[in-house]
Amino acid sequence: MSAASPRGLAPATLLLCHHGTRGAAAAADLAVAIALPGLTTVVHCLVVPDLWGGMQGDDWLNDATTRDAFGAYVEKMLAEEARAVSRAIEAQCHARGVDYRAALRFGEPAAVALAVAAEVGADLCVIGPPRRRGEAGLRSRMRLERLLRDLPCPLLVASRRSR
Amino acid sequence: MIYTRKSPALLIIGLVMLTWGWLNASGSLDGMQAWLQRSAHAEHVKAQAKFDAELRAAAARAAAEGVPAPAMKMPPSRFDEAKAGQARLSWIFGGLAVACGLLILLRTPGRGHVDYYLSVVPGMAWMLLIAFVVRWLLDPVFANWGRDAQATLGFNFATIFNFNYVVLGILAGIVIVNVFGIPAWAANGVRTARLFLKTGVILLGTLYSATELLQLGGLSVAMIGAFVLGSVWIVLALGRRLRTDNSMTAVLSAGMGVCGVSATVAVAPVVNAKPSEIAYTIGTILMWGVGGMFLFPTVGHLLGMGPVQFGAWAGTGILNSAQVAGAALAFDPNGIETLKVAEIFNITRVLFLPLIALWLAAWYVRHEAGAARVDLGHVLFAKFPVFVLGFLFMFLLSSLGAFTPSGHYQGKYFSADEVKREKRLDDRDAAALAGALSQLESPAGRAALQAFLAARSIHVGQHHAEPEDVSTALSGLIAERQMRTRAQDGLLAAVARLPGLDAEARAAIEKAGKAAWHASKTIGAFRDWLAWLFAFGLIGLGMQITGKAMRQAGGVPLFIGGVVGTLKAIGSLLVVLLFVREFV
Repeated sequence: MSAASPRGLAPATLLLCHHGTRGAAAAADLAVAIALPGLTTVVHCLVVPDLWGGMQGDDWLNDATTRDAFGAYVEKMLAEEARAVSRAIEAQCHARGVDYRAALRFGEPAAVALAVAAEVGADLCVIGPPRRRGEAGLRSRMRLERLLRDLPCPLLVASRRSR
Repeated sequence: MIYTRKSPALLIIGLVMLTWGWLNASGSLDGMQAWLQRSAHAEHVKAQAKFDAELRAAAARAAAEGVPAPAMKMPPSRFDEAKAGQARLSWIFGGLAVACGLLILLRTPGRGHVDYYLSVVPGMAWMLLIAFVVRWLLDPVFANWGRDAQATLGFNFATIFNFNYVVLGILAGIVIVNVFGIPAWAANGVRTARLFLKTGVILLGTLYSATELLQLGGLSVAMIGAFVLGSVWIVLALGRRLRTDNSMTAVLSAGMGVCGVSATVAVAPVVNAKPSEIAYTIGTILMWGVGGMFLFPTVGHLLGMGPVQFGAWAGTGILNSAQVAGAALAFDPNGIETLKVAEIFNITRVLFLPLIALWLAAWYVRHEAGAARVDLGHVLFAKFPVFVLGFLFMFLLSSLGAFTPSGHYQGKYFSADEVKREKRLDDRDAAALAGALSQLESPAGRAALQAFLAARSIHVGQHHAEPEDVSTALSGLIAERQMRTRAQDGLLAAVARLPGLDAEARAAIEKAGKAAWHASKTIGAFRDWLAWLFAFGLIGLGMQITGKAMRQAGGVPLFIGGVVGTLKAIGSLLVVLLFVREFV
């Protein structure tokens, strides 16, 4: 779907990039508001950022059992957080009569968003505003330039006030 | 699952190693090696000139006597041995890499043990290649640059900032993972870095004496006990005051208090830490740990600290255990004494870990409403560091004489039976000793000797040494032309420092002592392997330190971490400077 197509604002497939931050909550509100009941499917892209790949750091004193227990524990906690976020957005979507689908991926946020957009054939992508400096939360920024350059559909950035 | 990645990388690494070995063996790199190893090459040139002169003189003598010129061979210099060592290691590991590389390329991958074990070889070979580059190229290059720039800068930047093979290896690992990433074919092998570090610690067990282990153990238990418990308590108090979540406070206190990332990994599931809390904690610890690894050795050199003082300070003050080993080797890359001290502190920390995990689990259950009860027995058992048993086992084997006669110290042992004939004292030595003996038996000599023995509190076995003991020991040495017992050697080595003793007699005592002490080849080999194991392991650990993880440091956890980390570093420095003396 090209950026000039009217489908961008009446999207059949709306890609919502959201992983539980405050900015992403504004994106979720905007996406649900834009979505057309009976037409739009909101594809909720949840990214577990690749910073978790290095989160055992240079631990060398523990044995493999302790490290495996830690890895399994972190995976379980991240999955629980993702499920909670997913359930909340799903409820928002169903309340408006909009179809919902979740896509949980691990990786670098922009790369994952591009891959999922291509995979589902997104007509519109909605993201939240970048986090302000000093604001709480994990440091895992969406690389906007890469997204703007390679995204195959229009990109909508929710404003901070839209929440 | 198939673990091995089909890639020519291992084959290429093997070929690079073999080429390096061949270039060294053929002498093609002599010009470069002469620049890299300046001091060894200078010695080599001198030895070569001396040998050439001896050869010419021998040839001239032979010609004058009308006999054939003798066949003489120059003994290998330090420079020759270094080149030969590089060639040998390159051939061994290059050959193995080529063989495994071909196997990976030609074999049809299939599930099983062979596939699993083969998958770790490329990453290990890659780390080893980096270790070769760092140890044989970068380390001497920086050493030369440091010396060259000294006249201009007024100080040797390579020494002050510890640009040696350890720091450069860790830096290489950090740069590689953050700039290029770890290639998929190497990922499994890079993870083995931990195994090699633990193997290094286990082998280190062979280098301690029982007295040393007791002294260091006592010091480390006192310091780690005070500073670990102190910092855990301060973090808990600060966390309550700043109203951070209980799980955040608990996981941060483990990380800041005990052994950094390892403690965080061990304690996080016990106190139900949230992912973001784990990320903040690990980010804070890695930032402090890496900073400490560069800062501590520089401060240690500026303050003129010895191995025990620095090892104790780094072992207590640096938050993360991997960086403790790094800092100890960065401070003293050519010896093993600082590492020995620092690793005892690391071992003590890890022994404290199960207890701290228990404390924090109990603390968390008490303070967090609805927290599930924790099986304390299971926590204690699961967190016990098994590799410490390996360390103790090697210490025991070594002390009982499995590798070299018992009673050795760092592989050096006394044996009268192994004194070579040519190393025994000659008539001239015996005459000098006889002269010294009659001097010491004269009334004035006896009085001076008695005063010296009393002032130095010199013992023979359990009793204070008397002039008669010295006479007996010296008479024995003159008669036997060698030391017979360790007590005799110890007593005479002390007497050799007596002011006014004849210089030739002193030299004879030292010569006899030297001849009776032997170095164990096994322990010597362990020592060499240790340096490689730690260098190799630390490069691999450097590859686990990602900027993305470090960037998570921030907010209240960073503030608390900053306060406690600074207090711990400065507090332990003061304690070490005021109360700890060198004894290794």
